Amino acid sequence: MIKVKNIKIKELNFFERIYIIEIIKGLIITLKHFFSNFKANIIGGKITTIRYPEEEIPILGKARLKSKHRIKLRHDGTPKCVACMLCATICPAQCIYIEADETPLPVEKYPKIFNIDLSLCVMCGLCVEACPEDAISMDSGVFEGGVYSRKQSASRGGLFYTKKELFKNLEHEKESELGASNGLIFRRD
Amino acid sequence: MIGFNELIKIFFTKYTVFVSPNISYYFKHFIEFLIKMIILYGGVLSFAGILTLLERKISALIQDRVGPERANIWKFTLWGLFHPLADGIKMIMKEDFIPEKANKILFTISPIIVIFSVLIVFVFLPFGNYLEIFGYKIKLIVIETDLAIFMVIALSSLAIYGVFGGGFFSGNTWGIIGSMRAVSQMISYEVITLFSLLPMLMIYNASTLHQVIEKQTNMIFGFIPSWGIILQPFAFIFFLTAALCENKRTPFDVVEGESEIIGYFIEYSSMRFGAFMFAEYIEIIFFSMIITIFFLGGWHIPFLHDYGFVFGSYIIKMPSQIIYLMEIVSFGFKVASVSIFIIFLRWTLPRFRFDQIVSLAWKGILPLSIINIIITAILLRFMK
Repeated sequence: MIKVKNIKIKELNFFERIYIIEIIKGLIITLKHFFSNFKANIIGGKITTIRYPEEEIPILGKARLKSKHRIKLRHDGTPKCVACMLCATICPAQCIYIEADETPLPVEKYPKIFNIDLSLCVMCGLCVEACPEDAISMDSGVFEGGVYSRKQSASRGGLFYTKKELFKNLEHEKESELGASNGLIFRRD
Repeated sequence: MIGFNELIKIFFTKYTVFVSPNISYYFKHFIEFLIKMIILYGGVLSFAGILTLLERKISALIQDRVGPERANIWKFTLWGLFHPLADGIKMIMKEDFIPEKANKILFTISPIIVIFSVLIVFVFLPFGNYLEIFGYKIKLIVIETDLAIFMVIALSSLAIYGVFGGGFFSGNTWGIIGSMRAVSQMISYEVITLFSLLPMLMIYNASTLHQVIEKQTNMIFGFIPSWGIILQPFAFIFFLTAALCENKRTPFDVVEGESEIIGYFIEYSSMRFGAFMFAEYIEIIFFSMIITIFFLGGWHIPFLHDYGFVFGSYIIKMPSQIIYLMEIVSFGFKVASVSIFIIFLRWTLPRFRFDQIVSLAWKGILPLSIINIIITAILLRFMK
């Protein structure tokens, strides 16, 4: 059996049907909002709006884990990346380009060129998931993506990130010792 | 009494310098005419510009937002007062587009008709009592005629042609629907605007608008001003409703219906659209002025006489120039507050359905306004 629920619409009484009293009630509500906000704007008080470029609020929850990319560095300043190409392979937008080169360190490889074209990036975070060395991460805390040119490098105000902009540690960061082959370096120390 | 023929004669003789042999007389009138026009249209147009800002600012404050405040000249924002200026520049710089299916001539003429018909009506409206410059008294009404109220309503209803043409000849279906709605709505409420003003004319027993205001300067029982809103509150409500509907603003904005059909100006861009939008705000001022003249006592300030304030036996004397200036400010203040009230109504009320609007006009307000006229006539007959 289908249950049928009859909803009775409340009929308007005479005073509601001539509108005028209801209009005045509505006007009182809007006037209250108007004057409380007017007071807040002129004298000062609680304004709900955050004036964004001047004011900022802390980023909520885990949202800070999907900000712009960076590559972590070791204590001696070399990148933790070993140029294994896993991030470039898994990237669905194909925005990562890596060229590997040899290094005398026990990890044997390092990226000679490491480019991320953020104008193609879809911010899926798969590169971070794939990285076996805990080198690439999306925790730089930079969210603003508005630029005037896509092709220019990030240091000139574009969206094309090269080694220069990517290889950095955050301030007061505890050095991460995770990673398969990075373990060779840290264990030997 | 000045009839229509005389009106045309005035226009072509009084203010034309070149026809007359007595140049100095006509020159004086011409200068007077010019001063009035500059004060009137300068005031109206600049206030219309400010209204566009006020509407956005008030709506923002009602909805707990901040509103426009970023337009600046050298980091100097002036509470957002540069926004109307920025809007104007933007409108001029935009591409002026005429769709392929549109009738080019009528598409171009339509906004001109609208802006013409809302601007021309101001010549018949008084905007202050007198202005005294160097001992020379100027009556602050551009053309004073007995036909004023009928001229005003006839000329303002010319806007229907512009509204209809704008939608119909743009070759857009939404535009046609919008203009059809606009026309049927405006024709319905045209009747009510006149019918709600008729009892006022009957009560005041006056024909020129200057006389209408002078009749309101009396006091009932010595302390209640005999403004139209106190003598005829129902006529005020009817007229306000009709004015909102004529103006096609919320709660009667099915013509535009922001989220629905955009209305008759859907194909317009650039300054042509600007003309339609500006006409809407000028129309707000126009209806505020009519409401002020007929229902709020025009420039009348309670307890203010020709020689100063009078509270019982206590008198504050003032020179006449200052009193005249105060009266102009009082008129402006009333017009501004009614305009702001209309803006408040827009951001308070939900939209009516189209059939509700038309049935409200023909089944609700029109019979009531006719009953109002009859009752007023009977009462006036008995009071004589």
